[in-house]
Amino acid sequence: MADTIIRASGFGKRYAGHLAVSGLDLAVQRGELYGLIGPDGAGKSSLMKAVAGVLSYEQGQLEVFGQLLDSERSAEAIKDRIGLMPQGLGQNLYGDLSVEENVDFFARLRLVPRAEAAARKEQLLTITRLAAFRQRPMKQLSGGMKQKLGLVCTLIHAPQLIILDEPTTGVDPVSRRDFWAILAELIASQGLTALVSTAYMDEASRFTRMSVLHQGQKLAEGSPAEILQRAPGSIVLCRAEPQLEAMRRLSAIAGQCEAMGPAIRLFLPDMSAEQARGRVSTVLAGLDCQQLDVLEPELEDVFVALLATPGANGQQAQTLAALAAPRQALDSSALAIEAKGLSKRFGDFVAVGDVSFQVRQGEIFGLLGANGAGKTTAIKMLTGILPPSSGSGMVAGADMKQAGALIKARIGYMSQAFSLYLDLSVVENIRLYAGIYGLNRQQTALRLAWILDMAGLHGHENDLASTLPMGLRQRLALGCALVHQPRVLFLDEPTSGVDPLGRRAFWDILFRLSRLDGVAMLVTTHYMSEAEHCDHLALMFAGRVVADASPHAMKQQLLTELGQLYQVRADNAAALVAPLRQAGFANVSPYGTALHVLTLETERLGMVLRGLGVGQPPQVRPISMEDVFVQRVGQLEAQKAAQKGSP
Amino acid sequence: MKADWQLAWRRFAVMLVKELKQLGRDRVLLAFIVYAFTADIFLAASGVSLSLNHAATLVQDMDHSPQSRELLSRFQSPYFRMDGSVGQDTAALAALDQGRAMLVLSVPPQFGKQLAGGQPTSIAMQVDTTNSVLGFLATSHAQQIVSQYGLESAMRRLGLDDKAAASLPTVQNDIRVWYNPNQQDSWFMGVAEMLNIATVFAVLLPAAALVREKERGTVEQLIVSPLSPFGILFPKVVSMTGVILCGVALSLFLILIPLFAIPVKGSLLLFFALSGLYVFTTAGLGLFAATIARNLAQAGMLSILILAPMLFLSGAWTPPEAMPVWLRGLMYASPLHYYLDIAFGVLLKGQGLAELQPAILGMSGIGLLVFGSGLLLFRRQFG
Amino acid sequence: MNLQRILAIAAKEWREIVRDRLFFSLAFVVPALLMLLFGYGLSLDVENIPFAVVDHDRSAASRDYAYRFIDSRYFRFHGYAGDERMAGQLIGSGEVRVVLVIPPQFGKSLAQGRPAAIQTLVDGSFPSRAMTTKGYVTAINAAFSLAAVAQAVSHATGLSQQDALAQLTPIALESRYLYNQSVSSIWSLAPKLIMVILMLSPPFLTALGVVREKENGSIFNIYASNVSRGEFLVGKLAPYVAISSVNILLLWLLAVLLYQVPFKGSLLFFLPATLVYVLCTTGIGLLVSVLVRTQVAAMIVTMVVTMIPAVLYSGLIIPIVSLGSGARLVAQLMPAMYYTDIVVGCFLKGVGLLSLWRPLAILAVYACLLFAIGYRLFSKRPNT
Repeated sequence: MADTIIRASGFGKRYAGHLAVSGLDLAVQRGELYGLIGPDGAGKSSLMKAVAGVLSYEQGQLEVFGQLLDSERSAEAIKDRIGLMPQGLGQNLYGDLSVEENVDFFARLRLVPRAEAAARKEQLLTITRLAAFRQRPMKQLSGGMKQKLGLVCTLIHAPQLIILDEPTTGVDPVSRRDFWAILAELIASQGLTALVSTAYMDEASRFTRMSVLHQGQKLAEGSPAEILQRAPGSIVLCRAEPQLEAMRRLSAIAGQCEAMGPAIRLFLPDMSAEQARGRVSTVLAGLDCQQLDVLEPELEDVFVALLATPGANGQQAQTLAALAAPRQALDSSALAIEAKGLSKRFGDFVAVGDVSFQVRQGEIFGLLGANGAGKTTAIKMLTGILPPSSGSGMVAGADMKQAGALIKARIGYMSQAFSLYLDLSVVENIRLYAGIYGLNRQQTALRLAWILDMAGLHGHENDLASTLPMGLRQRLALGCALVHQPRVLFLDEPTSGVDPLGRRAFWDILFRLSRLDGVAMLVTTHYMSEAEHCDHLALMFAGRVVADASPHAMKQQLLTELGQLYQVRADNAAALVAPLRQAGFANVSPYGTALHVLTLETERLGMVLRGLGVGQPPQVRPISMEDVFVQRVGQLEAQKAAQKGSP
Repeated sequence: MKADWQLAWRRFAVMLVKELKQLGRDRVLLAFIVYAFTADIFLAASGVSLSLNHAATLVQDMDHSPQSRELLSRFQSPYFRMDGSVGQDTAALAALDQGRAMLVLSVPPQFGKQLAGGQPTSIAMQVDTTNSVLGFLATSHAQQIVSQYGLESAMRRLGLDDKAAASLPTVQNDIRVWYNPNQQDSWFMGVAEMLNIATVFAVLLPAAALVREKERGTVEQLIVSPLSPFGILFPKVVSMTGVILCGVALSLFLILIPLFAIPVKGSLLLFFALSGLYVFTTAGLGLFAATIARNLAQAGMLSILILAPMLFLSGAWTPPEAMPVWLRGLMYASPLHYYLDIAFGVLLKGQGLAELQPAILGMSGIGLLVFGSGLLLFRRQFG
Repeated sequence: MNLQRILAIAAKEWREIVRDRLFFSLAFVVPALLMLLFGYGLSLDVENIPFAVVDHDRSAASRDYAYRFIDSRYFRFHGYAGDERMAGQLIGSGEVRVVLVIPPQFGKSLAQGRPAAIQTLVDGSFPSRAMTTKGYVTAINAAFSLAAVAQAVSHATGLSQQDALAQLTPIALESRYLYNQSVSSIWSLAPKLIMVILMLSPPFLTALGVVREKENGSIFNIYASNVSRGEFLVGKLAPYVAISSVNILLLWLLAVLLYQVPFKGSLLFFLPATLVYVLCTTGIGLLVSVLVRTQVAAMIVTMVVTMIPAVLYSGLIIPIVSLGSGARLVAQLMPAMYYTDIVVGCFLKGVGLLSLWRPLAILAVYACLLFAIGYRLFSKRPNT
């Protein structure tokens, strides 16, 4: 078959001592956007590297473009038709080189004729909106821009197959949408085939077909719709007081049950919407139930359902409850973190300008913003790593700059870049931090066991951190940040690159820490579903806080300003974007195979859609934080561009 | 109060263990440390000699008299080695050009006759002085041989036999070389090499360890923790000091003492204590470079900048008295200079604390200064 | 081999080097600074040896004897010491290296025409220096002794003292110092310093450059493209060789202009030959970089394999002929020794290809071998 681009049969890869992939069969056809999803360490990266011909393997056969890859020489034969973008933000780019120099280097490396290279460069830079930054050194780009540049560099030689390993990890939602739109456009216009992995399940709905990998083997394969079929059921989103009691009751009936700020979200397998509503109502009888919505499950729910071993969640909850028994009465009025007019300037560049906010004890405070908005800088100033240019940051009532060991022992920090010791094993890293924070032998043993449970690191105790996949490293880092049971936690993109299972476990823990132990948390994240978990959010843009409210309030504001969110299902959804925009619906965006439209004019939308031949009426959807984020940041960017345009 | 100390001790201990484990994971590096402290020192001690040995000598005897033969036969090992004779000047020059010979001795015709007749005569010597020290030594040894032979033949001609010579007012100089009576180069080279290796690692290991933390971002995690800058840097230095002391022990007990019979005249305890102090001081220099550098390449270049002068200008190769004054000042700022005095003092001279006081004070002073300013710089860099 | 790809890699590497300002400047500053420091500081001349005198005789003859040392440029008079114990302390503390002990009756014995004895104590902690010092002491002593004998002979024979001296030294040694007429330490050192410095910095730059790419992941661009190993290695190393080439000129200028070392050979031979040497040392860096994983290891391994042999086994301080068999083997395995022949030949001897083709050929083979091994070991499809 000429049109099979990648064919793996019985493929297996072994690293010193452990098997990463074994007995994998896979076929990718020309023109497909083929996705690989799976928990951390499932073997995605190994497979992708082997396909790109940059990793040797032991088992089975791998054919790419009909060429059997069995030696360095045979791999050479396909490399001019392949583009590889390895995992990690800007990892394969050269930090000291400018955007343009990076692109030129790849073009020359790939022997693209000069004229063609120039034309393609212009085209790609324009599509990715990087043209304005061509002189900027790569290391000064935001994460999203780095990944777009990476894509440009991967595509400059017009490959027929591109292999992208978690290209959007660590990238903010706006840039991420951008990235996928660009990729879709390129695939459609250039007849590309793409093999892509991702940790964002909402992105997986964009794949033509995908494989769910688990422990080096294929768990499921098919189109997003087919995968969705694998775990039928209903999602219930409810708000009930007291939340902890509701949580306790609901987690007893559902394997997947998580707190989302004041709300609770649970997955009830094999139940219709009606059954689910009834079941939850009965369980919550006697509690003050304020809201109860039933939704269709999303890929993420299916993914979790496919992978979760029954009972694991409940078991975890028990351990947690035992370990995190209430220790002290909460004084929720006490300020845990306070930023007062915090600013940081690097030369002329204002990274953070006059930022103020407050985080109370026991509160989960989310700091949102696009890449480069100044979140990390703000956190570094609060933790005392960077001295502020002006203003001050107080943690637990003390200025971190002068804070003594006593205050420092009460905070935990997890930095954005993985910052544990790669040449130490999992257990050694944990023991190290336990020691640094002065835990005694008994405490250390207790916390060690707790962290291994929490992070799901059993079986990896003696692995070096450098051999762990990205997601597991992040879990280990969180564990180390929590080892001394801090009162105040700073988490800078703690879940970046972690699979949905791991993320849910994370947030379960964070929730309990805040509710039971009264730990204050300042979290940044690019997963907007996680922002829903926060009690309070601050949105940063260009170094300033532009919105500061609860997720609920933020959504309400958007609702009153821009109206309800409607989901439009149609066979040719993508083709409807342009006519809808023409008809005056500015806020239209593709969402998987459907469209999302945000509008105040409900009736007119129905009319226009009927006019376009869409049979199904638009469905009202609860608005998500992602919608809020994309809308807000989009508005701000438009404003900024307008300001620049009219000086 | 007691709890505080326990806490500090525990922090110190875990950081120490961490550093050692990290080092232990880098097998290549570890193997190199062992190699350097054993095989490399063995090579240096067994093979390297700084004195004139077996200088390749060619002769051009145009006289062929008993006198000429007698004189030439006195050019013997250990200083000279007769490599045969050459006939023509061009051949002699070619041998010198290609480095096959270091000196060529030419005895003119009539040499024997002139000598017997009491006439002044001469022999010519061409010396390759591309190595000035050896050139000088060769000349001076040759001069001695020639004068001695001249004196003897003059005495004979004047009819003064050996008995008469004993009644001449000659001055016998009895030269005694202390501390190393046989002037064994192996003692000097072995010990000096051991000190050099210790120095290389003392600068590089802590510097590399700190820069790596900066590059990886792990240092941020440490700064946020209750560790003080001192608490971060001190265990690094202590652990590396420990490793290097092990290396020193390895070379001393495995190589130098059993194989080269280096006498340990002073106290080994004192030697190791002072070695610890030295490594500590030198590690401060490495940390200093590491705080300035942003990446490992920079740190490496800065370390070369520190190491090369330290090694070359320690006083082991060039005596301080032969250096220009400004460089001598620089030498006094190099801890290796003091360590050299200390190591030779304790091992070969059997000196104790009292005699070594100036060196110890000098070294400690530098150590405090360097470590202190490194700490200050580190603190400034991070808040 | 495709030139365009090589150029692309070389240009990228060059830009990265240049943008790291500190590193870039250090790449030139370090060699120049080492040259300056060593040129002025690494004097191997043994001069101004501090010495003390224990004079138990206090006669005119003993003062005369001491004065011969005081007057010599090789010795620096530290002072008279009261007794041997004090003198011993002076040596122990390193304040003096030599002590002359003149016994009682020294002057009297000589005056009576009887041999006299002197004891000299020499600090032997630095054997080579002790050896040189012994040489000086023996020479001065011989001269004094000869003068004393000449005086006695002139007494006995009625010859004038001068004639007697002439009679006693019938043979003059006419030494001709080849290549370095003034037996200047810097003349012999400066060319070899070029050798040492070019041994230190190119491997270091190279090893770090390649391992850095491995460590931060951008090596995947190379793995995943059609760039051949050879193209990558050539392109990657070219900028470092270029930097070293500039350093060659810089060091040569320093030697010739600052230290006034005569350059008797031909630049047309010297420069290409030096380039071959730089290729060798660069190749060592390459070899290290394919063998190690981390930059730390790369740094330390290059230091150990280059710095120490460059000093000990290169002929810088110790001539190769004086090395023991083990050390000589190491010396023969390193390129430094062969280049020492070339650099000394070009500067001081003024010889060219005719005399130096052997070391040059060895260096060339050496370089090829290193690159071949580097080429073999560098895999574009590794198994981790």
